[in-house]
Amino acid sequence: MPDVKRRSSLIRSPQFSSLVILMVLLAVFAIADANFLSPLNISNMMAFLPELGIIALGMTLLLTAGEFDLSVGAVFGLAPVIVMLLVQSGQVDIGVALLAGLLLCVAIGAINGLIVTKIGISSFLVTLSMLLVVRGAALYITQGFPLKSWDQPGFFVTLLAGSFNIGTFRFYTSLWWFIALSLLAIYVLHYAKLGNWISAIGSNRNAAVARGVPADAVKIWLFILTSVLAGLAGMISAFRISAASPVAGTGYELEVIAMVVVGGTALTGGRGTILGTIVGALMLRSIRNGIVLIGVPGLAYNIFVGVIILAMLILHALLQKNAARS
Amino acid sequence: MEVLRLQNLQKSFGSVRALKSASFTLNEGEVVALLGDNGAGKSTLIKAISGVFPVDRGDIYVRGQKVSIRSTRDAMDLGIETIHQDTSLAPDLSIARNLFLGREPVNLKWLGVFAPLDLAKLRDAASALLKRVGISKKLDADALVSTLSGGERQSIAISRAMQFAAKVIILDEPTNNLGVEETHGVLRFVKEVRAAGHSVLLITHNIHHVFQVADRIIVMRRGEIVAEQTVADTDLLTVESIITGADMSALLKETRAK
Repeated sequence: MPDVKRRSSLIRSPQFSSLVILMVLLAVFAIADANFLSPLNISNMMAFLPELGIIALGMTLLLTAGEFDLSVGAVFGLAPVIVMLLVQSGQVDIGVALLAGLLLCVAIGAINGLIVTKIGISSFLVTLSMLLVVRGAALYITQGFPLKSWDQPGFFVTLLAGSFNIGTFRFYTSLWWFIALSLLAIYVLHYAKLGNWISAIGSNRNAAVARGVPADAVKIWLFILTSVLAGLAGMISAFRISAASPVAGTGYELEVIAMVVVGGTALTGGRGTILGTIVGALMLRSIRNGIVLIGVPGLAYNIFVGVIILAMLILHALLQKNAARS
Repeated sequence: MEVLRLQNLQKSFGSVRALKSASFTLNEGEVVALLGDNGAGKSTLIKAISGVFPVDRGDIYVRGQKVSIRSTRDAMDLGIETIHQDTSLAPDLSIARNLFLGREPVNLKWLGVFAPLDLAKLRDAASALLKRVGISKKLDADALVSTLSGGERQSIAISRAMQFAAKVIILDEPTNNLGVEETHGVLRFVKEVRAAGHSVLLITHNIHHVFQVADRIIVMRRGEIVAEQTVADTDLLTVESIITGADMSALLKETRAK
């Protein structure tokens, strides 16, 4: 009996249906084009995966607490721009510049969080405005031109965008960042006291507050975390391609939210899953690579991404409904 | 023995005097019903006791000690637990996690909010509690609260208050939106709570429920306590007329004479 019960609760879990969909997707792409599973393509996917994946981890925690952040794509663009400008000015060391960039992210996240919690404006409106401010700032200070990034080898470059080979696969250190941060996020959300608070706040904020949970403080810190992760991801990306573009990360906010939701985290808060988000990140990454490989024309690309995301969400909802009924 | 005493509590919101003056005493192992129409000041009084906002004037005594309640946390630490109809539980969390929300048992306490939950202790304590309150047959400590009925949720919330050895349990409209059978379940539970030695302040619109479980009745009108009677000394019609204010003078005289 308990075995059956456990099995049905596993099937009912949102991560499970996401995993099934991911497997189907991978199978379809692998059959459609043999190159999909080639070392080159897998290496390529693993290079891109962490950059959005890292942001998605923060977004999962934030969504679970009942808020979301539309400014992550803009922060992804601005943070490395600031770092590069500081380095190019010749006044500061690269380490200091990176720190300054992350501190800026802390400030952006704190402003988002403070306005949402203390003034009580919805995070949709606050972070949408922040998106415009941050993206506008990046464009203005660069006058719209991409900056040449730091391309001299060194400790920080290796730390953020170093690469290594395992057999015929080429991986970036960012993959380690993603794995380490994922493990940390799984621990915090599912096993730590803080995770209990995050889920409770998103599920029923008043109940959490009535039990003495500092809901506002938790939310503000989650906004800061998400912003910092977005900035970190932006720096990783800029080092990898050796350029900091003021328009980098455009549209990432929606793609990240799609990853999180496709993975099974509730858009309405209360229910979050890091494992699901990892599956969701893998899913969107394989869609992006897969449809290029099977030869979808470049300009039609987003149509396919959108349709496939919608299809996945519908499938997801149906699987969930079925599982709940049985 | 006196558990909670309020003395001349006053609270205004702008020019509205929500609480003009409220004084009463709650004794150990007693169920006191707080009655009154909408806007009578019941919820203002409850919020003041449970620490949602401070009062403008007046004193609160817990077991004879004068206390100051500035937050919900203060109230909880003093042993005053408030259970609201809809705001007590997080539906997406398990019963066990709800029971310990805000007071989670953890290992490695020095890690602060990052400390790992003591999951075994959490589940064991929750199961033991569910057994003690007699709902273990139906409920699994790992079940999500969203899968429970309204009556079960009320029972869980009340058990949680009992578990932390609350001296005073405030129930805010516990039978709202419940079916007949569930309502009886909750009322039975209130009696068990009293039998276990807790004091209960019951806020409700339903006078019938009051006569089933309460020892004493306090009636509020327009921010004031207008009557205080033991259930044995009164009847349904009398209480109803006090609430609505019909034929007040005679009744007040009777109350004051006591």
